[in-house]
Amino acid sequence: MRSPAAAIAWEFRQRHRWGLIALIGYLLVLATIKLVVLARGLPINLDSPESFAFVVLVPLVATFTYFLAVFTFGLDGDFAARQSMYPARMFTQPVTTAALVGWPMLYGTAAMMILWLATRLFALWPSGIEVPWIWPALLGASLLAWTQALTWMPYPLPGLRIMVTVLWLGTIDSIAILALNFKAHESLMLAILAPQIPLAYVVARFAVARARRGEVPDWRGVFASPAKIARLLSRRRDQFSSPESAQAWFEWRRHGRSLPVWVGILLPLELLMLWAAGDATVLVFAILIGVLLTPPFMATFAAAAVSKSSPDASDFYGVTPFIATRPLTSAELVAAKLKMSIWSTAAAWILVLVAIPLALKLSGTSAVMLDRWHRVSEVVGTPRATVVLLLILSACIASTWKQLVQSLYIGLTGRASLIKGTVFLALVFLFLIGPFIQWIVDTRRLGELWSALPLIFAVLVSLKMISAVWILVRLFHSRLVSDRTLVIGAGSWCVAVFALYGVLVWLLDTPHFPHYLLALVAILAVPLARLSAAPLALAWNRHR
Amino acid sequence: MSESVIDVSELTRRFGAKTALLSVTLSMPRGGVYGLVGANGAGKTTLIKHILGLLRAQTGSVRVFGLDPVADPVAVLSRIGYLSEENDVPGWMRVDELIRYSRAFYPAWDDVYAEELRQAFALDPTAKIRNLSKGQKARVGLLIALAHRPDLLVLDEPSSGLDPIVRRDILGAVIRATADEGRTVLFSSHLLGEVEQVADHVTMINEGKIVLSAPLDAIRESHRVDGRVPSLDEIFVARVGMSAAAISEV
Repeated sequence: MRSPAAAIAWEFRQRHRWGLIALIGYLLVLATIKLVVLARGLPINLDSPESFAFVVLVPLVATFTYFLAVFTFGLDGDFAARQSMYPARMFTQPVTTAALVGWPMLYGTAAMMILWLATRLFALWPSGIEVPWIWPALLGASLLAWTQALTWMPYPLPGLRIMVTVLWLGTIDSIAILALNFKAHESLMLAILAPQIPLAYVVARFAVARARRGEVPDWRGVFASPAKIARLLSRRRDQFSSPESAQAWFEWRRHGRSLPVWVGILLPLELLMLWAAGDATVLVFAILIGVLLTPPFMATFAAAAVSKSSPDASDFYGVTPFIATRPLTSAELVAAKLKMSIWSTAAAWILVLVAIPLALKLSGTSAVMLDRWHRVSEVVGTPRATVVLLLILSACIASTWKQLVQSLYIGLTGRASLIKGTVFLALVFLFLIGPFIQWIVDTRRLGELWSALPLIFAVLVSLKMISAVWILVRLFHSRLVSDRTLVIGAGSWCVAVFALYGVLVWLLDTPHFPHYLLALVAILAVPLARLSAAPLALAWNRHR
Repeated sequence: MSESVIDVSELTRRFGAKTALLSVTLSMPRGGVYGLVGANGAGKTTLIKHILGLLRAQTGSVRVFGLDPVADPVAVLSRIGYLSEENDVPGWMRVDELIRYSRAFYPAWDDVYAEELRQAFALDPTAKIRNLSKGQKARVGLLIALAHRPDLLVLDEPSSGLDPIVRRDILGAVIRATADEGRTVLFSSHLLGEVEQVADHVTMINEGKIVLSAPLDAIRESHRVDGRVPSLDEIFVARVGMSAAAISEV
């Protein structure tokens, strides 16, 4: 290897050669199609949104996401950890920090630019649309450069990387979308986007320099005092009543406090806006909706840590011998996680439910809310309004818990490829869901979608029930869960589904919502298959 | 119930193309100190992981106290004290929290003995484990492994974590005391000199195969040359040189 630049390039090429080959193959196919179409003057175009999405949009988004993972070294690291995700093994190389940062950023920028330019050149674009050459490439490169900088940064709190990255990339994205909405000229887009890459480089260099010196800021002490108070307030136990309670305590100490802490940090910031809202009812409602959605939203991030089988494992995803040799069954280890997630959800929601009335009272916006409440009560009656309010709260609380536990069955497998593959698919889904909804609205297909909804739900319910039966049979044969637990679990699920169905029928008793559709919704909403699969996933990981 | 604490029969384990264990058969009766020796990568930890149920037997079988450690982890693991080579005790716990947490899992936990060990190992109960030195962390791990007076004590390369003083003065004494109480110790190491000091029975493993398994005294006697008893190091070198040979029972 002649130089650090060549060595770093070799590592990217060697590790990701199959992805690279697939990408080159895809671009060659695009180019061939275009050449044939142009040369023969075939009447083929991609004016149909479905074909355009299938041929161009999906592969483009998938490759963009793949590049994010490759050039940030994100396939190796722990996104939720405080430590930099830049590979520590490279810190001991006799290379300047500028080179360690600069070459991967340069390769990433070049790859993003080439990806866009090749797609722009080779793809058949819908007629009548002026597809720009430069700024989308710069947008992709900027997003990658900032992702690199923010993932390589050491953070003072676990999980902070996820929040900062999502918020910052979302901001850049929003600025670009805003500029597009106002029909900004390409030169303005270039002026906005071009400085992003050098700025990101400066931040990345600072981040890697800190990581290289072993500097990882630690703000966990800030929360030590509240934690100490909480410990003093809680009953000081000399011993745990059972191994299960000891394990639940372990899980709480390890993961349980993340969600309430994050909610506790965000709540004051959100509720402070009530002081600015004044009598603007819509704004007050928007703020409160935002506050109510905060716990389930933050739970999606906290879940990344909860679903890891062991945060201390050297390979990030495996179970440490310390945990694997606990004399507990895999089902009991999972049960401790579930118990912890209930406590975590309860703690987060206690904060929310105490903070909201307090903030409404202190900000003087409670009158607005009471006025609305009286008006709603007059229209639908106080009992119905109360029940609806309680149902909304219950749904938010249940959703928070569901967010925390629904990915356990993936994380607990300990298989990096499975976990990263799922994250990759989720990102692709998130990138595509917006344009898909836009397409549904633009093409006025909401009616078709509504008509197809029972069929879609029926297919999903079938898949869920088939998976559940398969999982229950596996659980029964593996003896991971006792017969009694299986029966109680199945019974509880049926009760929850019937209860939810009853509530939905009571709430939405109109011809627009046929009862069978509500039954399908109830079956889909109550967790079964994924939750039941968690002990199997952990056993697969624990006894390899 | 089987008289043997550990019964491994025709155990083979492959990781991709690499064979980590090949037709390993091993039986350890109750009581005594069993030294499992071999070079790095010989398959010692893989064998121990099978005994603990952390790896599932691909072919062959593993029984501990007559039970399958994968099918019945609670019954097996509650009778085992284990000090991992990785020494992965959670760093966020304090020493007293770890003791409180660990005792919940073992009905036979001995508070007096745990306190004796804590004092012998000079461990501050309020110290966070992440702030301890590597040697102190190994002592904490050893305390947790010993304090419930396990029927089987499994020490996977304990010397790699313990400092020389603990190794010489404490580890040997603890191992001997455990064995003298009629319990069983499985002690894995690549430092043959240490094994020689405490083991009653030695099993040599090389490239996934057991090349020698016998009482230490019998090994020494059988390798006596001109009245001189060779060291375990010398015997190991001689045996591993002949590792292609079939499994040997002296």
